[in-house]
Amino acid sequence: MTAISLPSLAGNARDLWKRGSASAWLRPPMIFGYVVLAFWIVAAVGVQWIAPYDPIKQVGERLLAPSGTHWFGTDALGRDVFSRTLYGARYSLPIAAVAIVVSVTIGSVLGAVAGYFGGWVDAVIMRIADMTMAFPAILLAMAVAASLGPGLNNALIAIVIVWWPIYARLMRGQVLSIKQREHVESAVAIGASGPRILFRHIVPQSLTPILVNATMDLGQVILLVASLSFLGLGALPPTPEWGAMITDGAKNFYQPWIAAAPGFAMLTIVLAINFIGDGLRDALDVKATRR
Amino acid sequence: MHTKQRSTRFKWRSLVAMAATATLLLTGCSVGAATTAVAKHDLVIARAMDLTTLDPDRGYCDTCQIVFTALYDRLVIVSPEDSKTLQPGLASTFTANADNTQFTFGLDPAATFSDASPVEPKDVKWSLERLANIKGSASYLLAGMSSIDTPDAKTVVVNFAAPNSAFLAIVAASYLGIVNSDVASEHGASAAADASTADTAEDWFLSNSAGSGPYILDSYTANSAVKLTANPNYWRTKPTFDTVTLKEVTDSSSQLQQLQQGDVDIAMQISPDALDQLKNTPTVTTAAVDSFNYTYIALMPGAEGGAPLADVRVREAIKDAIDYDNIVKTLVAGYGKLQGSPIPNGFEGSEKVALPSYDVTKAKALLAEAGYPDGFTISSTYPKIVAYGVDLDLQMQAIQQNLASVGITLELTPVDFSQWADVIGGKGTPITAVYFAPDHTDSSQYVQYFGLIPNGGYVANFASLAGKTVNQAEVDGLTTALAQTGAERTASYQALAQLMADDVNILPIVNPQLIMAHASDITGVTYSPCCNVDLGALGLTK
Repeated sequence: MTAISLPSLAGNARDLWKRGSASAWLRPPMIFGYVVLAFWIVAAVGVQWIAPYDPIKQVGERLLAPSGTHWFGTDALGRDVFSRTLYGARYSLPIAAVAIVVSVTIGSVLGAVAGYFGGWVDAVIMRIADMTMAFPAILLAMAVAASLGPGLNNALIAIVIVWWPIYARLMRGQVLSIKQREHVESAVAIGASGPRILFRHIVPQSLTPILVNATMDLGQVILLVASLSFLGLGALPPTPEWGAMITDGAKNFYQPWIAAAPGFAMLTIVLAINFIGDGLRDALDVKATRR
Repeated sequence: MHTKQRSTRFKWRSLVAMAATATLLLTGCSVGAATTAVAKHDLVIARAMDLTTLDPDRGYCDTCQIVFTALYDRLVIVSPEDSKTLQPGLASTFTANADNTQFTFGLDPAATFSDASPVEPKDVKWSLERLANIKGSASYLLAGMSSIDTPDAKTVVVNFAAPNSAFLAIVAASYLGIVNSDVASEHGASAAADASTADTAEDWFLSNSAGSGPYILDSYTANSAVKLTANPNYWRTKPTFDTVTLKEVTDSSSQLQQLQQGDVDIAMQISPDALDQLKNTPTVTTAAVDSFNYTYIALMPGAEGGAPLADVRVREAIKDAIDYDNIVKTLVAGYGKLQGSPIPNGFEGSEKVALPSYDVTKAKALLAEAGYPDGFTISSTYPKIVAYGVDLDLQMQAIQQNLASVGITLELTPVDFSQWADVIGGKGTPITAVYFAPDHTDSSQYVQYFGLIPNGGYVANFASLAGKTVNQAEVDGLTTALAQTGAERTASYQALAQLMADDVNILPIVNPQLIMAHASDITGVTYSPCCNVDLGALGLTK
């Protein structure tokens, strides 16, 4: 077989769960990641039943320290920081997930087309990707968000513009490698159409590294959304988005709980996603599973 | 807790003393020698600065007021003890004729510029004409000036076409500092009618000054610092400090921290919340003093999306739906007051206007009457800045909550100040939040800026209240007030304040107290309605 010559992460997405031993999927960091991610997903979905207070209404004295009544204290407008932190998941998680899904879709399709057809199509797509990647992600995202105006939807567009080239480059490399394989040459020999070969015989074989990368990137995108909001280019007031909450906290650093709560929320979720991403990469590693 | 607190002034002092000692040792001088180390006094002030220019006739900002006052003396000044009293400045005598159309200033023979040349009538004429002709933001202060005569070597006569009883107060404004015309002209400055295009001195003023104030400009680095040094030829009492540095420190928390550490001697924009942090700091003195500054929201039916605001009942409903007391408590920890009209508390005319009150029931009834029983959605773009301790972003979020209770959905878009200025200069925004500090001590400025009069402030451009952008009663009232003095003028300004309050397009939200926080050994830190803080009056306890 030619498996040894394949990139270590290549493989059919449908086989993902068959790979690796059960222990690879249940390592302690991954279990931590599952639990924390599950907590935040539950928080995002059911926050209206979990949060003790309305996140945008004044519910107590301003700048109260954490107490039994207000677990994470109150902010400069007397809003409950715990409730706002929980509601923050409802903005950060879906936006990051949508940004990743859209970036993966756009990047993968363009990368696959560039890799399979080559020539000027490849040159044009990849030069655009190169130009985009030449800018530091945060600076380009800031520039795009600033030109579109503040708001979470515009932040989402900015992130997609910054992030798609990563997947285009990744997918192009996969396609270039897989299109030399025998089953692809066989499909060409029996007269299958280009799109059919690409999307039926090549792309499914290329998805594993994309999925692993996307998982790892989810945490980065959560941080990028928060960064844009921190800079005033993301969430608009009074949206309890974590980055915007940290901006509020920075104005009151003698009341550290205002910034600490959303900061801690981000820390836990990004850590959890990174653990899951790392575990996923290890579990799906062809060479690793052979050992 | 604060044993490390030593101001930079003392650090410099120590350095100078050490250097002097070292010099004495190296040169073998005896202790009894005549050489004496003179203490060098450097003052550092932390401030979020809004400077874009240092040209005294082009600048128009709160920091400009401080810097211009230090660099350029005016003909008359406001008494530090009583803001309603004017004192001699460069002019040792100043009089107005009976109908307030002619003002005569007799220059003090001792007055000199920083290059030791005398201040002459031609400099006064040139400076006032340049301010008027450069057509900058502060040029409105000289609206109506018809001519300036210089009949002799020490007299200046300023003429107006119509009565202007506010002029002597206006002359004390920091923007009316007198510039050395010979020096400035050498570097491209012009006072001619085409000065707005012919004058090329703005860049020169970024690194030089040509005034007769207690300080001269040493250096300016945008977004970093303005450094002033004492004017060696100052014609009045020389300033205590050898240098004064205004250092850019944007947020209140950092200002507080640097003051506590002794990195700065005065923090100019400490938040009221910080007062508690400073209570137990013996080396720092704090005081909350009444100010004439205020934040307000402007309702502009003429702006894109502002149609519902054309109905005065809707504007009244918005006014009644705001919980002012709670906002004062929340935003400035109670260190502030309510204000009834655009003429601020303490200014002539503000005395009889009722303060706004919170009445949700009345607001809902007014909205229903106006055809909006379920409210409506309206947008607001405003600058995300902290003005006089009031965070405009928090202010608007508090108002957003209040308006939600009567069904009005307020969509907030905080933007940088420059972006906001673009919006205001372009399509406008239905509701915005801004701030105002007086330029001088006369109430006319509030009518000129906020009243519905021809060539009024930006608000008038988008007001279109009931289809009109001019309220003739305000135009006539201002003309009358400027021709009056004493109790009659007070009555006229009271009527104007009520008229502007009844327009319901400017809603003052907070009249905050100023928090003065400085090293305990510094004296003279007082608030001036014309000039913010007079750096020349700052001193040290003996």
